[in-house]
Amino acid sequence: MTDLTRRSLLRTSAAAGTAALAGFPALAQTLAQSREITVTALGGVWEEAVRKSFVAPFEQKTGAKANVLLGSPPQWLSQVEANPQNPPIDVIITTPDLAITAAKTDLLDPFTTERLPNLADIPEEFTKALSGKGTVFDYGVAGITYNKKTVKNPPKSFREFVDRTAAGEWTASLPGLTYAVTPIMLIWTLAKALGGGVENVDPFFQAMARMRKNVVFWGGPNDFFNHLSSGEADIGIYFDGRTWAHVDAGADWMDFVNPSEGGSINALAVIKPKNAKPLAWDYIDVMLSPEAQLRFATMLNYPVTNRKVVYPDALKRRFTPWQQAHFPPYEEIAKVRSSWVDRWNREIRG
Amino acid sequence: MTAAPRPALTGRPSIGRPFLALPAVLFLLAFFVLPLLDNGLRSVVPADGQGLTASRYVQVLTDPFYLDSILQTVLLSGVVTLICALIGYPVAYYLVRHAGRLSSLIIFLLIAPLLTSIIMRTYGWQVLFARRGLINTWLVQDLGLIERPLRVLDTPGLVVASLVHVLVPFMVLSIAAVLQGVDRRLEESAQLLGASPWRTFLSVTLPLSLDGIGTGAILVFMVANGSFVTLVLLGGGLKTLPLLIYQQFNTTRDFGLASAMSTVLLAVALVCLILQLRLVRRSGA
Repeated sequence: MTDLTRRSLLRTSAAAGTAALAGFPALAQTLAQSREITVTALGGVWEEAVRKSFVAPFEQKTGAKANVLLGSPPQWLSQVEANPQNPPIDVIITTPDLAITAAKTDLLDPFTTERLPNLADIPEEFTKALSGKGTVFDYGVAGITYNKKTVKNPPKSFREFVDRTAAGEWTASLPGLTYAVTPIMLIWTLAKALGGGVENVDPFFQAMARMRKNVVFWGGPNDFFNHLSSGEADIGIYFDGRTWAHVDAGADWMDFVNPSEGGSINALAVIKPKNAKPLAWDYIDVMLSPEAQLRFATMLNYPVTNRKVVYPDALKRRFTPWQQAHFPPYEEIAKVRSSWVDRWNREIRG
Repeated sequence: MTAAPRPALTGRPSIGRPFLALPAVLFLLAFFVLPLLDNGLRSVVPADGQGLTASRYVQVLTDPFYLDSILQTVLLSGVVTLICALIGYPVAYYLVRHAGRLSSLIIFLLIAPLLTSIIMRTYGWQVLFARRGLINTWLVQDLGLIERPLRVLDTPGLVVASLVHVLVPFMVLSIAAVLQGVDRRLEESAQLLGASPWRTFLSVTLPLSLDGIGTGAILVFMVANGSFVTLVLLGGGLKTLPLLIYQQFNTTRDFGLASAMSTVLLAVALVCLILQLRLVRRSGA
């Protein structure tokens, strides 16, 4: 019998480790990793929708595994920018403005119907808007969400919303600057509704100066719901889809108005970093398929972009066709976004 | 008398001992020093990648808006630290000198807030102090004490209260640890020589426990200095440096300016740390 000493144990372990690293397990691990991709999702009901609508059919179709990474688009893009040769993420969902920025820095692979057969059923505008290096797969409209119990007569337009907020008729909850989409969904949207635009956001800042004392800011979409449910605010600028998701979850005291000026489209795009695993194309093609998109739309109450999707009547009534809302000029906004943020910091305390 | 030779920890020569620190040194090098250098480099490389520039530092250190932000950051941390010390000292004193069997319960109650996620704690403040929240409903509807709900959320006061709530345990435990070691015979001697209990506290106990206040102050100040989630969720109209840094990453994606601001934040924290250490040492701790 051999005595088991510390030295012999160390020697044996080292030999076993070397053998394991040098032998088949390493190869097996590499192979396993090539059959695994990392995809992204926002938190909450979003994650659930991604898992059920996209991940499950992808795994069933390919036999591969998709690991879901939670977070936010700026964070994911930063991770890819830090390691573009071997990106840690294979499929990213992001706002179009960030997708455009990433496309300009040559971080992304182009989308083609050869790689993505279902891309043929997505309106061309959504791919062109991203310089062909990604496409929009779902969108929402930023409008006015309110508490029916405290706001009996909701505003019909953004202009009316601003006037009545300034008059102190209610406390409004607006997206703050820690929320990445705020320059688009609030600054540009209100500026446009009040007679300005990308080149002139004075109307927005003038409106904010009038409203400020009756405004609180939300840092993330869940904050908005907390503001309304806790009674801190009565009304605010929010997304239609998230409002309907809350209503369906039992918050039947909430309602949404698509303002007469037209809400702004807040789209989400899907992109594939260069050097991401080829399996990512299969996942993206599933994301763009009518079956997966319908399931996603049903779960999240957000319209999707595949032309072949036929919504049930209940959803059809809630959804605003993208042609009837304003598609933000993302590239132009990207050029002036920093100056808007700087002005906000100096003029608006919040 | 000759001191007994200290027993060796192992039979190996002492020359190998510095290598025991190697894992910690490598860890700090990989996850602190190198990222810090990278951050510093980002802050001086212009957007086009050509040459070096100090323009971002000039912007942060000369623009009144950013200077005000630095001031707000330091003031917020200072006020939170001061309030934590004022609340924490009596609690620590009671804990060490009078709590007896209750001390375990008090320590549990102190650290209980740390067992909950910071987001849940912050939402708790919202539920309590919202315009139609619990407190305002009592005051306006149930008790009829005021006509209009108090505006508590989105004020600097609630941000301070929320930070004190979570940071005061650090202060209490730091002070308690030092108070525990104060030789009671020194206090008894002072009283035997005619000092009143208050004079004894001011002349003996407090100076001997300054080390604990100093440690607690450094801990609280440093954490408050970098606090972020509380400010995002409770607002308060404050524009501290951590908030502005996050904005640059999340909204404008100006990594260069964010890096410059984070270097300045680190420098501010270090300066405050050195000042606090000097203050404590000068006070005789």
